[in-house]
Amino acid sequence: MNISKIANLKYFYKHTENVTKTLSFITFFLFIAGIFWGLYIAPKDYLQGDSYRIIYLHVPAAWMSLQVYIVMAVTGFIALVWKIKIMEIISIQSASIGAYFTLIALVTGMIWGKPTWGTYWVWDARLTSELILLFLYIGVIVIYSSFSDKRQGAKISALLAIVGLINIPIIHYSVEWWNTLHQGPTVTKFEKPSAHITMLAPLLYMLLVFNLYFVTVLIKRVRLGIFQREKNTKWMENYLND
Amino acid sequence: MNSIIFKKEIYTYFRSMNYIFLPLIFFFLVISIFPLVIGPNKSLITKIIPGIIWITMIFTTLINSVNFFKDDYNNGVIEMYLTSEKSIEYILFLKIIICWFFTIFPIIIFIPIVSIMFNISLHILTAIFLTLLLGSPILVAIGIFGSALTIGISRNNILGPIITVPFYIPVLIFSASAIESVSNGLPNDLQIYVLLSILLLVLPTMPYLLKYTLRISINN
Amino acid sequence: MKNIDILVDNVSCVRSNNLIFDNISFNLSNGEILFIMGPNGCGKTTLIRTLCGIQNLEDGTIKINNLNIDNPECNFLENLLYIGHNNGLFENLTIYENLEYLNKFDLSNKDEFINNSSQFLKFFKINKYKNYLVSELSQGNKKKVALSRLLFTNKKIWILDEPLSFLDEDSKNNLIKLFLDHINTGGLIITSTHVDFSNYFEKSKYLMMQGIDT
Repeated sequence: MNISKIANLKYFYKHTENVTKTLSFITFFLFIAGIFWGLYIAPKDYLQGDSYRIIYLHVPAAWMSLQVYIVMAVTGFIALVWKIKIMEIISIQSASIGAYFTLIALVTGMIWGKPTWGTYWVWDARLTSELILLFLYIGVIVIYSSFSDKRQGAKISALLAIVGLINIPIIHYSVEWWNTLHQGPTVTKFEKPSAHITMLAPLLYMLLVFNLYFVTVLIKRVRLGIFQREKNTKWMENYLND
Repeated sequence: MNSIIFKKEIYTYFRSMNYIFLPLIFFFLVISIFPLVIGPNKSLITKIIPGIIWITMIFTTLINSVNFFKDDYNNGVIEMYLTSEKSIEYILFLKIIICWFFTIFPIIIFIPIVSIMFNISLHILTAIFLTLLLGSPILVAIGIFGSALTIGISRNNILGPIITVPFYIPVLIFSASAIESVSNGLPNDLQIYVLLSILLLVLPTMPYLLKYTLRISINN
Repeated sequence: MKNIDILVDNVSCVRSNNLIFDNISFNLSNGEILFIMGPNGCGKTTLIRTLCGIQNLEDGTIKINNLNIDNPECNFLENLLYIGHNNGLFENLTIYENLEYLNKFDLSNKDEFINNSSQFLKFFKINKYKNYLVSELSQGNKKKVALSRLLFTNKKIWILDEPLSFLDEDSKNNLIKLFLDHINTGGLIITSTHVDFSNYFEKSKYLMMQGIDT
């Protein structure tokens, strides 16, 4: 596809009008299927029984919280260097979506924590890193909203996102290191190699569904962002009048 | 090139002694409040005093660097720097170092007084001293970066700290761990080396990052 | 002596989602002065800032000797002296220290500065304030300090934003004399102004800006 066409806001806005409805339906049904798979079909865990099933929400949410940050930072970088407007919008909308994913990961982590460790919160490496990630997202969102000139706000928040991206592995490994000094291996370790395929498959499936959800919501939000920016321009008025 | 540019930065701090004394006073004021809220539990306070010192240092640095570029921005000085052919990176580097030296270093010098206030043993005090010496310039540099990001925003007094504190966390973790290792009788070489390497990475690159950020910030 | 050709081609600028100016073009060579005039809010300051490279253009190009100003080879900052309406002075330094500092930035001769500084301070009649902190001065005197940079510099392109504002009659005339000297030695001046003082100059160019009607 021609890159300049994708970059062109008009083109994106016009051609995604009907896509969002279809995508929403597909995502919704696939999600329901995934929940069913995870809650009923997947086998019981021999240690945790049924309470482990929250990982079918927790793990994809945590994964997405990190993946979306990378999307935000990379699109922000592209927007800074090549000055492509749509990348600015994608970057800032990803920030909000990523923050929600982080919140879901934290809340589901807390729900998992209660039956597993007896408390809602524990300062282990994963949850602490996730919490700091939430603050990084909030920082990007808040600094963007503080600028009245949205073009400049997008540049500054992109810069913050990029520097934050460098910081994330540092934070993660320092928190993990601090934790292993105090507690031993973390309890929320992702047991990928040792999990049975019947438990693993729904997890990977949910990961794909979450990604689909991200794309759906992103397209909707980017359309909203384009509308907010271009609402006073002629092409938008003409388009809405049709 | 060196003399007047160097002198000018120093005059900023010498002409108003406030710049040097106010952070120092603030630091000791905040440290003194902690026992009031924690209670006179001596052993507890002795245990957590390194954490208290570090958190107070973080707040002091934040308040100090939040409006670092404000005056220069309002007076058109940053515009002047960016429309000249001289490299501003050197000036920014000097600004960071001299800011740290006059506002934070005096606090570090007075840390032994904290040890008298709270009965800190000598080897822990040495660890606190060393981590502050290595870590506080990093805090100052990152705080100045935060202030460069928020120049264009009015009322950025809380926003600056919100975006800066997550970047302080690694420094905080390694410093706290270095002090704790010493209090447990273990070596803390690893943590000190990590702090040193962060310092050596952040200080030379920060001027370039600052210049880029300033360029975006005045382009409103 | 270096030949300088400034070519501004169809530039437009957007700030905070508002179009500030559109379709601005002009060219300027050695020995020419450009007056940018127009009502308040028509974008004079914004245009000047884009010429100095501190404001981004939405459209169009600014070229010096056929090189875009973004091009690192262009080196136009070596030839540029910009004095905005914010003065660019350090409030906590004295006049003399400010000029000593700015001297490093303006392609001036250090010895010339040291030997002739008192003479130059007399040009705008600020020599008696030599050791006053800039924060203690009036607006007009601050302007005079900022403009004193023009006395020392060897830079060819002067871009000034409303240089006559706050000045008294004497200093205005002295400044115009300074401009004439600069033009006659092959310098270029771009200045925005509310007052038309082009009658002092033989060949003046004008850029009348109208502002955008919403």
